Amino acid sequence: RGYEHIVKQVNHTCTLLLEVGLKSRPECRSIPPPQYYSQLISEMETLGWDKLLFIDTEFQTLRLKAEDSSGRQHILTVKLKPKHPAEAPECSADLPLPLDFTWTPQSTLDQLHSQFLLVLESLSDFWNILDEIDSQTWILEPEKPSRSDTTRRIAIGNNVSIKVEVDPRHPKMLPECCLLGAEHVVTPLRNKLNANMHMWNPDSSVLHNLRDVLEIEFPSPATHEKSSFSVECGICYSYRLEAAIPDQVCNDPRCGQPFHQACLYEWLRALPSSRQSFNIVFGECPYCSKVRHKI
Amino acid sequence: MQRATRLKRELQMLSTEPPPGITCWQTEERIDDLQAQIVGGNGTPYEGGLFSLEIKVPERYPFEPPKIRFLTPIYHPNIDNSGRICLDALKLPPKGAWRPSLNISTILTSIQLLMAEPNPDDPLMADISSEFKYHKQQFLEKARKWTQEHAVQKNTGVLDNKENTPNQRAVSRKREAISMQQDADDAAKKTCM
Repeated sequence: RGYEHIVKQVNHTCTLLLEVGLKSRPECRSIPPPQYYSQLISEMETLGWDKLLFIDTEFQTLRLKAEDSSGRQHILTVKLKPKHPAEAPECSADLPLPLDFTWTPQSTLDQLHSQFLLVLESLSDFWNILDEIDSQTWILEPEKPSRSDTTRRIAIGNNVSIKVEVDPRHPKMLPECCLLGAEHVVTPLRNKLNANMHMWNPDSSVLHNLRDVLEIEFPSPATHEKSSFSVECGICYSYRLEAAIPDQVCNDPRCGQPFHQACLYEWLRALPSSRQSFNIVFGECPYCSKVRHKI
Repeated sequence: MQRATRLKRELQMLSTEPPPGITCWQTEERIDDLQAQIVGGNGTPYEGGLFSLEIKVPERYPFEPPKIRFLTPIYHPNIDNSGRICLDALKLPPKGAWRPSLNISTILTSIQLLMAEPNPDDPLMADISSEFKYHKQQFLEKARKWTQEHAVQKNTGVLDNKENTPNQRAVSRKREAISMQQDADDAAKKTCM
């Protein structure tokens, strides 16, 4: 079986560690006693070696895999303390909520893994909702959503998008929404959102609800190319400037030129024709010369 | 920060879709140092000439305009003896009209247009300007003569490649000579700076 070489490695390390321990006392203190390793092996045997994706050379950091009921793969990283199992291990995973496991000196890795599976199940609705959005719309931000990301910026049209923040605890409720784009396009959408908000149906998915409430069809990878939404900034000629994407748009409907906030600010702040009040700069669009504003 | 990404795109566009009669390229591997050539327009006294320009891209580009200068001597009311060009798009507001929606390609096109249609009301060279206004024939003759002398590629045949570089140097020296000679009385006449 696949774990035999790990057992050999453990035995070998034990001998090595004892030697090192005899030679240098300070290092000796951070090295767990031999029982630590036998405990670890027996716990792994109960859990199943097939769950182990990785273990570091100190035998302290483990990566365990877990699959939720929808077939999504997850990884639980466990950092064992030298006094394991008396001391609780440090755990981390790619989740939208902080991990909060209960641990007693009698707890085992197997129990930890079961607790993790329960957490995954509690987030299943949240991920189902986001997976549907990710597969059926064009996501502008984040570039590569991770399992812990709760926000999505969804393309609606050229330079028009909606940023939604889904609550992992109540994923089916109306998410926090922010419409981005030129005023003349965004205002009617905002009015629809406000007028139809009462129609939000928690039994339906967020994507379906958004479609019904905004009365729109989202462009999807099946119908549109992404390049039609990733219009570059009119100042730096690129789409991504560090992590930012162009989110300032000229309010004149005939212009509609997008800019990165940083680029537009850099241009407007040096112009005598711009004026600033608190954190809003008013100035002319470098393309059409119409007065526009920037926050 | 914006300069690098923007220039990369601009150079790409300039090489794939250059404006008519204009070429622009990077000199060596320096991104802030470009060279351009403008073909003298048909029906202008610059016809038949090929005019070289030097473009320096400042650190703050595109928030600041590029610095462009003619290397080839040109007889023109808005271009002085050292090749400096009087064009409002090359200056920052409020005096000028530079804005980041312009780029090297559009600026070179404006210079090409300025060559075809001088602006005698905003002259850099007062003498040439009044000549352009009141003695048009004389102006056209001189401009044509300068074009023939400095801007026409003399394709003499086999040795052409080797001769190109010294030729350009000679031209450049000549321009400097003219420039030094006239610099003193120029200073007082310049209205466009």
